[in-house]
Amino acid sequence: MLYKSGEVCYDNADFGEEKEVMFLPGAKKVKYKILIADDSEMNRSILADMLENEYEILEAKNGKQALEVIQTYQHDLSLVLLDIVMPEMDGFEVLNEMNCRGYISDIPVIMISAESSASHVERAYELGVVDFISRPFDALIVRRRVDNTILLYAKQKKLMDLAARQIYEKERQSRLMIEILSHVVEFRNCESGLHIRRVRLLTELLLRHMTKRPDGYRFSLQEIATISTASALHDIGKIAIPETILNKPGRLTDAEFAVMQTHTQIGAKMLDDLPVHQEDPLIKAAYEICRWHHERYDGGGYPDKLKGDEIPISAQIVALADVYDALTSDRVYKKAIPHKMAVQMIQDGKCGIFNPMLISCFMEVADTLKVQLENDAVAEDPHRLRGVVEELLKREELPASARTLRLLEHERMKYDFIAALTGDIQFEYTTVPSMLTLSYTAANRLGLPEVIMDPEHNENLLAFVPQREREQFFAVFQSTTPARPEAKYDCMLGLEGNERWYHVIFRTIWSEEGPQWCTGLIGKAIDIHDARMKTNNLEHMASIDQLTGLLNHASAKKQVNARMAEHPAGNYALAIFDLDHFKLANDTFGHQFGDQVLIQTAQQLCRCIRSDDIAARVGGDEYLLFLEYKTDPEPTIRRIFSSLGGKYKDFLVAVSFGVALTETVGADYDALFQAADKALYTVKRNGGGHYRFFDGVMHDTFSVISPIEEAVERGKK
Amino acid sequence: MTLKQCYDLLEGDYEDVLGRMRKEALVEKFALKFLNDSSYESLQQGLAAKDQQIAFRAAHTIKGVAQNLGFTKLYETSGHLADVLRREWSEEAFPLARQVEAAYQKTIAAIKAYQEGCAHEKP
Repeated sequence: MLYKSGEVCYDNADFGEEKEVMFLPGAKKVKYKILIADDSEMNRSILADMLENEYEILEAKNGKQALEVIQTYQHDLSLVLLDIVMPEMDGFEVLNEMNCRGYISDIPVIMISAESSASHVERAYELGVVDFISRPFDALIVRRRVDNTILLYAKQKKLMDLAARQIYEKERQSRLMIEILSHVVEFRNCESGLHIRRVRLLTELLLRHMTKRPDGYRFSLQEIATISTASALHDIGKIAIPETILNKPGRLTDAEFAVMQTHTQIGAKMLDDLPVHQEDPLIKAAYEICRWHHERYDGGGYPDKLKGDEIPISAQIVALADVYDALTSDRVYKKAIPHKMAVQMIQDGKCGIFNPMLISCFMEVADTLKVQLENDAVAEDPHRLRGVVEELLKREELPASARTLRLLEHERMKYDFIAALTGDIQFEYTTVPSMLTLSYTAANRLGLPEVIMDPEHNENLLAFVPQREREQFFAVFQSTTPARPEAKYDCMLGLEGNERWYHVIFRTIWSEEGPQWCTGLIGKAIDIHDARMKTNNLEHMASIDQLTGLLNHASAKKQVNARMAEHPAGNYALAIFDLDHFKLANDTFGHQFGDQVLIQTAQQLCRCIRSDDIAARVGGDEYLLFLEYKTDPEPTIRRIFSSLGGKYKDFLVAVSFGVALTETVGADYDALFQAADKALYTVKRNGGGHYRFFDGVMHDTFSVISPIEEAVERGKK
Repeated sequence: MTLKQCYDLLEGDYEDVLGRMRKEALVEKFALKFLNDSSYESLQQGLAAKDQQIAFRAAHTIKGVAQNLGFTKLYETSGHLADVLRREWSEEAFPLARQVEAAYQKTIAAIKAYQEGCAHEKP
């Protein structure tokens, strides 16, 4: 996908108010994005040339790519220039898809084609195309058509946005008014203040659930909103009930109860007496609820002794919600009952007789009910906001308001920006359809598209994920559950030969209702390659002798101890050897020459030992060798001894060996080391050029070990 | 050689394309770019395999590009070929394809001649 950006920004004079909506930094400079979908690169670049001064141009070379771009940028695209004849998916198929996915009403499409037969044109217009540009392209006409179309749609979007904001504000205010009004009642009633809210929430839950059931009533989203809002008014009649009765802690007398019952009629009358708005669905619903929320399904309720479905369903639902909340809350005359017990009591018909269908509906939502009510009480009413947004979305024909989409776009920008800063690869996967989305910068860096359909079979993507990592990923993926959706692990990703270490964190996403299934995952892969390499390297550096590449003394000691601890029963020999007359080599030929001798000796040593023997440089020209033997160590030591030495240039290298055995001194590193040191000292004292085993009688305390610092310093230069 | 002469050579309509693109530099840029366009190769492959889809799309693309660039002769010949191949494979494609080939070679030769001319003028 080519990506070009125009320099010149669109003049924003016509969109003064837009600034309020577009809160992005620098958003005043809007560069409208145009997608050019044409299979001929020539044709795309001719059009791009005509438009790129004013617009940001995105390109697609076939219908499939075009859809990917549309899916990615959605309403951020201001225009699509679409060719008809294209491979993969032709222009008509793209239009069909845009219709199915609902983009066509928001993203204008101009057809570019030489196909001017009437049937083509008609079909294109039917599919929602707004205009045609026919070949050959005329720069002036192309510019005009594009400018006009974008201007028209931008104005329409602006209007939609204004309308959406007004509806939002209106909804917010009316809800607020209703809440204030119903609180007046609660205030007198000395109730917690949450009763109204809980009843409304419960009403809404029941309505929604009922709509999903095959035998249930069908409520439109608008009706659900109206009834649940009206439910807040169910007790307004209580405003006229004397406080002594309303807040009496003990049982009401018959007379008192009769007064109490009148709150239903009073509430209904208050609504009935409203001078205006009698036809408003909200008032009608509120009337039904006020008057009949104490009726019983068997006809035993009040005030009108309605029976069965004579009682409006809205009132039936609110009645149930009211009972449940009354049971589970503290009241002046009783304590709160636990959720489970309340559900049981309602099911057993101990708190009134309800429509059996309603009861079974209630039982189905009972499990999630408690959690939802608690969440609602804790969070500052996110539910209401969600309700409003949902209503906005379902309102009229307003297709997902431009404002919402801009908010989403804003989120996407933030997401991409943060991802670009950290260099992380952020990804999102949905199972249906199987689609992987990469953050913009990550996609760019990897040279992959942002949206990859059917990623399991995308070779370009799979090239980045070696087989073993795919298996590991699926294993980790399988291990997540709805309760434990998060997972993290380290892995190597990248093209072959270019793999890097990543720390992968992801979270699987599960369906909210019904049997839970995984709908996708989100996560990121953090590049930890450099940090990890650094640690490995430091560890490695710390354990070796820099001049010869053998182990250093400290790590040799560690390894020797580990080996002896691992197999305490084994027989081990520890040898220390040094070079005879090494000082002479240094003094005669210089230190560099001396270093070369040390290196050569180390190389000789490496060639004649087994891979699991331990070899180290432990002093200026002293080396340590640790090996396991079966019966007699002597032949091995002799072999190694005679493989070392020889000539380096003009210098004759000879070595002296001191060897200590665990059989003799025990499996103790320090004892072995000292014994070998002593054996070596004995050899040196006798002129060198030999090897000798420690036999327990060499009690001299002299050591041959010379300091290594100086040699190391030189080795670094 | 001027660009106008180049267009005359390839039987194109220079005034038309200049009128649409407004700038000679643009016309030149895209004419030269046409040398790298791969549609003609696709056409040959499609014809060799008698693949109606590929051959039609390629002929159609050449037609569109030629039309945009004012290569009249190439536009006309490829247009005929595209019409014949629009619905299904047809043996009639071959004689028409030869006409396209002639026009294509002529077009390429003219643009190359123009390009070399430019190279000589600006050492």
